[in-house]
Amino acid sequence: MKSTIAKAAGLTDVGLKRELNEDSFSTDMKTGLFVVADGMGGHLAGEVASRVAVDLINKSYKKWLDSDVPEEDLFEYPDPSLSKIGNYIQSSIRLANKVIHEMAAEHTDYNGMGTTVVVLAVMPDLIVTANAGDSRIYLVRNGEIERLSKDHSIVAEQVEMGIMTDEEAKQSPLKHVLTRNLGSAIHLEAEVFEIEPSSNDRFILCSDGLTDLVSDDEIQQMVVAENDPEVLCRNFIDKALTRGAHDNTTVVSVYLSDIEKSKSDPFKKMGSILADILTTTQKATKIFKS
Amino acid sequence: MAKLILMFKDQVMQELPLFRESMTIGRTPENNIQIDNLAVSGHHAKINKTGSRFILTDLQSTNSTFVNDKKIVSHSLKDRDKIQIGKHVLLFLSSETDRAEQSSIGETTILDTAQQRELLGKQEIAAGQDIKKIGVLSFSGSSEIGEVKLIKKLTRIGKADNCEVKLSGLFMGATAAAISKRPSGYTITFTGGMTKLKVNGQVIKDSVQLNDYDTIELGSYKLQFYEKEAESL
Repeated sequence: MKSTIAKAAGLTDVGLKRELNEDSFSTDMKTGLFVVADGMGGHLAGEVASRVAVDLINKSYKKWLDSDVPEEDLFEYPDPSLSKIGNYIQSSIRLANKVIHEMAAEHTDYNGMGTTVVVLAVMPDLIVTANAGDSRIYLVRNGEIERLSKDHSIVAEQVEMGIMTDEEAKQSPLKHVLTRNLGSAIHLEAEVFEIEPSSNDRFILCSDGLTDLVSDDEIQQMVVAENDPEVLCRNFIDKALTRGAHDNTTVVSVYLSDIEKSKSDPFKKMGSILADILTTTQKATKIFKS
Repeated sequence: MAKLILMFKDQVMQELPLFRESMTIGRTPENNIQIDNLAVSGHHAKINKTGSRFILTDLQSTNSTFVNDKKIVSHSLKDRDKIQIGKHVLLFLSSETDRAEQSSIGETTILDTAQQRELLGKQEIAAGQDIKKIGVLSFSGSSEIGEVKLIKKLTRIGKADNCEVKLSGLFMGATAAAISKRPSGYTITFTGGMTKLKVNGQVIKDSVQLNDYDTIELGSYKLQFYEKEAESL
């Protein structure tokens, strides 16, 4: 199956409680790359971290994609469980992490800065998602919602291990303590997933400003109800604002178009030949009868 | 070591130690445990060791597999389980060490306070028990492919050269199906071609999540999915 992006949109809002917007995002229809980052750290550091992450991931991905760089030449060793595109994404996040980590170590203003990141790459025959931190990516396919990211927070990991329930996680004071982000460590491995695209797939990338206030079920209903990704982004931001928007909120939505299933199957060719024979026979029978 | 005692009409025929990760039971000689009797299918059942457990799975045999007189599809074996295959009985005897391991895994971890240090402490303990698993496709019947480990995040199955699992057949799609490892687990997606994709006998037109011992059919190919402990790379 070959996928194409029908339409994509992105929107960010500072919210009602914060003075600065530390979220950044990018949408690139040409490369098919979409990024959302949620920065943290005092002064302007959070803003810087998220901006650097988004810029660097875009730049390195585009460069590697354009020159069709072999996996061995990427930044750090390639991950054998990933495709080439998957490794481009993983490597671009590693590189951004290293730069942000060094900036944070070198400039006192940037001490302790970091950022989450969530990435979507749309290729004709492949979808790659990646994340570090608690920003998320959702897929809505045939009306059903599925997370294509893993939250890297203490509570999410404990829920996964079965030592904490979802409800306890929501109440936990450690809800926003991240176990992975760009900036805090020299090395970082993002969580990468690869899937086959399907007709009319809809992807939502967002910062926790949205998911703190809007549930997965609500997200699913809103995505299914809205055919214009631009309007959808606005609807999500408005929803967060009506619920107090204590944090910056960013949403990127990407809608794929109808995908034609592969036409090169021999059976379809044979099917059409058979159909031709059948109609010819029918015609012949008619002529014969008349 | 866990073992099976093969019995026929209350007579002990053979003692079979379960030393492999995967043991097949059937009538034909390529099985690890061969039971030469017409009531037994060529490939009747298999036993996989996962951690300290032994999982018995019926390979859609003609006369079915029974454990303690109940028909099973897949079953986690317990000490002294009586497996009936045709007219033969296999008595499962677990080893002392396996029994000890199983009882400790079953224990509930109690979460009392929300103190960070304590939480983190528990997390470390839990992480130690966290077993990395990998999906495996096991081809049954006449296929020469045998087992395929799903080492990629996305495994494509079909006729095209870029497929990780290459299958032949006139009606096989260039990419007939794809299995992706997602946050929720392994998912199989039908991707095209005239060869139908079936999971547990149901035709799949889009996607379905795979569970241990699901049977997947693609045309004449029949394979079984299960997750096993990943060997350290």
